Amino acid sequence: MFIRFLASVVLLAVLGSVALAQQPAAPKQPAPPKTNLKVGDPAPDFTLRATDGNTYKLSDFKGKKNVVLAIYVLAFTGG
Amino acid sequence: MSVDSVPANREFAKQIGVTFPLLSDFKRTVVKDYGVFNEEQGFGNRATFLIDKEGIIRHIDEGNVAIDPNSVVEACNVLTHKKAASP
Repeated sequence: MFIRFLASVVLLAVLGSVALAQQPAAPKQPAPPKTNLKVGDPAPDFTLRATDGNTYKLSDFKGKKNVVLAIYVLAFTGG
Repeated sequence: MSVDSVPANREFAKQIGVTFPLLSDFKRTVVKDYGVFNEEQGFGNRATFLIDKEGIIRHIDEGNVAIDPNSVVEACNVLTHKKAASP
């Protein structure tokens, strides 16, 4: 009886550790999409509203300034 | 630029103290045009594009690499020096 109890405890422990070991791998995320744009490609034009109340159009900077377009994931997050 | 609304970005800008305007791509058109729209999450993946005066892409950083601004700053320097050197 004791042996049987011991065996079931060992079995549970083994199953538990297997389950734990598998946990981190479980929520498998697909790879994030990669841009199809390449260095040398023309940048797609855009017109967007900004926090200063103005609207910015990429092509308005043509012939005037280089532009860095930095896309961050979401506001109120680390980056 | 992010897919947040203008009011959300305004509050975010206030919190982190940025002095330059943040652009809002609430309709997700620009992140789609630039190929960084994460359909599953509904936002644009982190990326930095350097676009020269002619409207040509000169540098791309994607994903976690884009957190560090040094490479795009370096690309900017190369670009401005190149332009300064050419007649």
